[in-house]
Amino acid sequence: MADILEFFGKMGFMNMTWQQGLMLLISFFLLYLAIKKQYEPLLLLPIAFGMLLTNLPGAEMYHSELWTAFLDESSPYYHSYGAIMSHGGLLDILYIGVKAGVYPCLIFMGVGAMTDFGPLIANPKSLLLGAAAQLGIFLTFLAANAMGFTEAEAGSIGIIGGADGPTSIFLTSKLAPQLLGPIAIAAYSYMALVPVIQPPIMRALTTKKERAIKMSQLRPVSKTEKIIFPIAITTIVALILPDAAPLIGCLMLGNLAKECGVVDRLSKTMQNELMNIVVIFLGLTVGATATASSFLNIRTIMILSMGIVAFGCGTAGGILLAKLMNVFSKEKINPLIGSAGVSAVPMAARVSQQVGQEENPSNFLLMHAMGPNVAGVIGSAVAAGILLTMLG
Amino acid sequence: MILAINWPHVWMVTGVGFCMVIALLVVLIFILKLLGSVISGAVKAPKADAPKAAAPAAAPAATAISSADDDLAAIAMALHLYFNGVHDVEPTEIHIKRVERSGWNSKLYGMNNLDR
Repeated sequence: MADILEFFGKMGFMNMTWQQGLMLLISFFLLYLAIKKQYEPLLLLPIAFGMLLTNLPGAEMYHSELWTAFLDESSPYYHSYGAIMSHGGLLDILYIGVKAGVYPCLIFMGVGAMTDFGPLIANPKSLLLGAAAQLGIFLTFLAANAMGFTEAEAGSIGIIGGADGPTSIFLTSKLAPQLLGPIAIAAYSYMALVPVIQPPIMRALTTKKERAIKMSQLRPVSKTEKIIFPIAITTIVALILPDAAPLIGCLMLGNLAKECGVVDRLSKTMQNELMNIVVIFLGLTVGATATASSFLNIRTIMILSMGIVAFGCGTAGGILLAKLMNVFSKEKINPLIGSAGVSAVPMAARVSQQVGQEENPSNFLLMHAMGPNVAGVIGSAVAAGILLTMLG
Repeated sequence: MILAINWPHVWMVTGVGFCMVIALLVVLIFILKLLGSVISGAVKAPKADAPKAAAPAAAPAATAISSADDDLAAIAMALHLYFNGVHDVEPTEIHIKRVERSGWNSKLYGMNNLDR
């Protein structure tokens, strides 16, 4: 009888708190969004499932107290990966890849191998739009400070405005690991909501005439330029801003593998197998950090609300700079492509194309918008490097 | 709480950070433009040195551009047909056309039987 009672006493149902129950419901909701609504399912599904696993009482797959001790200078386990390996569960061990900043860089390698920087090379001015769209990061950094977050936390919240999941995770794991769960969920949720968030801002900041502007065709880009581009960008950015080197270096390594044409096997592995494996590990472990104690508080709601402000400001920054460039430039730019300066590749570029075609069905902005779009990836990685240098 | 924040440092990070993003990407713009001009210059250089040799090469270049234009025209037409719903809609059903025979135009009735 005592054994039976002990068995029942160990059941998760008997040990579940209401907070854990609520977290399970949130994870079910996120799974619904991923599967039924297809909101960034490749990432949201593992994140939601990681959240489900970590909030199952008694499963012991993730131990937030181990990671608290890992960060505590007075603890004997300070920066001890050995302690994590010996005492941790499955998700603790996989989380080492996030903590060490490995997964976001590997994902960037895959992103680089799938990205065509041709539109950016053909129209280098796109980089300015990618830079202006980072305005959201810095304005949100200011707002988060005013709302009582520390500077490191504010920097991590601001980077949501870069609309770049791996960059957000990379920076947050370095500056404010305790906020990783809410920030990752905010970043990926808003990226999925780009077609909902951006169009009203785009229409509000542009006139009909501006939205109908047709842009001239981009010049063809030679293979030599495409090969030199990743090498040059890596060298220059890493020499100016060493903290951005892991992200930019991996992004450009992937791109070089794609463009050089002599390592097709490596390029395909980066694009498919490596990328998919790392996405699974990253999603699961980031979701696992969303424990009831870290997620269910007012700060999470503040992070989610500031994330949307960051997104909106980034979109507005790109559009306004495009309008400003039109004042000085002979060749007119359709300001709608400025909104693609927030990364979210290629969703943001597709939104520019759709809104442009509503005004003029014969206008094809997609390739023009891809320039600022990939520039946004570089811009957000650079902004992350700057924040890491100044706040890390 | 707001008074406890180190506002000068926060403003410095905001201002300097954003300006550094802009500055770094402006540097990259110049480098990309330089790269583009150097590479296009390297491609054009043999033409300037040997105009006679370059003349036959003009034909394939023109063909390549023409081919790209054709591709673009085909893509544009496909998009136009798709988005405006003017593409032929095939019912994907096979029908056997049944011809009803009435005989109203039969040749038999149009022939005169002449007694010879």
